[in-house]
Amino acid sequence: MLKILIPTLMLFPTIWFSPAKWLWTTSIAQSLVIALASLSWLKWSSETGWSSSNLYLATDPLSTPLLVLTCWLLPLMVLASQNHISPEPLNRQRTYISLLVSLQMFLILAFGATEIIMFYIMFEATLLPTLIIITRWGNQTERLNAGTYFLFYTLAGSLPLLVALLLLQNDSGTLSMFTLQYTQPMHLLTWGNKLWWAACLLAFLVKMPVYGVHLWLPKAHVEAPIAGSMILAAVLLKLGGYGMMRMMVMLDPLTKELAYPFIVLALWGIIMTGSICLRQTDLKSLIAYSSVGHMGLVAGGILIQTPWGFTGAIILMIAHGLASSALFCLANTSYERTHSRTMLLARGMQMILPLMTTWWFVASLANLALPPLPNLMGELMIITSMFNWSHWTLLLTGLGTLITASYSLYLFLMTQRGPLPSHIIALEPTHTREHLLITLHLIPIILLILKPELMWGWCF
Amino acid sequence: MLARLSRFGPALTRFRTNPAFGARFVSQSPPSGAAGSATVSDLQPSRAKESHGHAEVSAFEKNRDYHGFSQDPVVDEWNMRMAFFFGISMAIVVGGTFIHYLPDHGMRQWARREAERLITQREAAGLPLMEENYYDPSKIVLPGAGEE
Repeated sequence: MLKILIPTLMLFPTIWFSPAKWLWTTSIAQSLVIALASLSWLKWSSETGWSSSNLYLATDPLSTPLLVLTCWLLPLMVLASQNHISPEPLNRQRTYISLLVSLQMFLILAFGATEIIMFYIMFEATLLPTLIIITRWGNQTERLNAGTYFLFYTLAGSLPLLVALLLLQNDSGTLSMFTLQYTQPMHLLTWGNKLWWAACLLAFLVKMPVYGVHLWLPKAHVEAPIAGSMILAAVLLKLGGYGMMRMMVMLDPLTKELAYPFIVLALWGIIMTGSICLRQTDLKSLIAYSSVGHMGLVAGGILIQTPWGFTGAIILMIAHGLASSALFCLANTSYERTHSRTMLLARGMQMILPLMTTWWFVASLANLALPPLPNLMGELMIITSMFNWSHWTLLLTGLGTLITASYSLYLFLMTQRGPLPSHIIALEPTHTREHLLITLHLIPIILLILKPELMWGWCF
Repeated sequence: MLARLSRFGPALTRFRTNPAFGARFVSQSPPSGAAGSATVSDLQPSRAKESHGHAEVSAFEKNRDYHGFSQDPVVDEWNMRMAFFFGISMAIVVGGTFIHYLPDHGMRQWARREAERLITQREAAGLPLMEENYYDPSKIVLPGAGEE
């Protein structure tokens, strides 16, 4: 754990003391080395699941893929922001990269924590850098509104969790994930117990976000600078899924009156957000709503508490993290050229930037879960386990995948095909940096086809 | 038109004669003035030209081999080299090799191979895939029937 944390910590001196000229070069190089080193987490040494170097930090097959994803995202965020941050004053550039690095550190501590209360603290700590990134580096004044939504939705959702955790500490005497999984299943008979159950999940359902409490997400995505959107879609939402899986181990057994409403909401959310995507005009908003839909599927897979559901959820989380982050990067490349997120204003890009169209095509296909990409594996496993649980869910999930395919196609056709609008007169050619950025998103997705067991979670 | 927009007037003249350089001009109609949609409002309109990459001047005019990393050609090239070396050569290639050759976790792949080998072997011999008595009954010691 420390072999990653200390180099991450050492990124701060790299950022603040390296010569201004080489600031971006050194931070990209070092963060990529950290990402490479993080792959060593994938070598599981223990058969019991947890491999820990100390009492407070440990990895298990559930957290490892998310940890590696976190480390992978930092260099990609640095690469993505380089163009629009580097004209700023030097100290502001350094602050920006420092915020990204601190986000990675908090995320590593959150995913690696063995105490739930430490996970909770780190979960909350990630809010701060994200909030600063959104409200300081966003493009429009609406970013302040988006920041408020982002902060208060998440805070309001997670305060009950703090109370629930303190109560749990009082009752069971421990909040360690090592021991809590062996506690007696609780029988949730009284209203107080049921409230406790809901409080344990609410924070994560807001963070996922499940349909109904998702309003902060499109706002935050639309207003955030590219790095903020990337980390939000790729890792921060997954914090919700991860937290839910951790709590679910204790929240056995599934009860009708508690889990059903959330499952129904999650599945209904797939249809609703998909339909919203179909009539979006804003490129980033569309991708954000598609994230809500996919996360609804993840929430459903987790809430039915079957091994397949869990495995499907984590596969979908990783695959969606890479695919949606790639889509946000692509949206940003088009935004940096046309200065608009409105899809109507930037059509027919295939005529000018054909290689970028190829990336759009592959990323859209990954988003709509084309076989044999891991997105499909995840969706299929969740849909299958939902189907086994209740046949009726197939109506919702099936329709959901259909709508997903439709809006991904809509996204692709709208931005890339068709005639070029006449107001587009001088677009920059694509940069090597942008192609590298998208390649570094898509190659891992493609390689994961070959070794999916890396993200099978507890099933492997 | 480029010379009017260019911040790099002297540098521009060097490349002017070369038709391959510069931004791709798709349409020759004059700019509409509002480069973006109504949704965009720049933080500092006065500095819009040099900030956020919103500048109308293409970096390719200063450096034809611009890779999108930095305005300084030397930094640009080295940044690209570093990003490609650590991103592709190290993380993807070396990292991918590392992951491919990870030890077989929990001997699951071995167990699968062994099971497939056993199945073909038993099918060839005409035996059932699995004996009815997986454990040898003579080796199982059961408690006596009357024991309570």
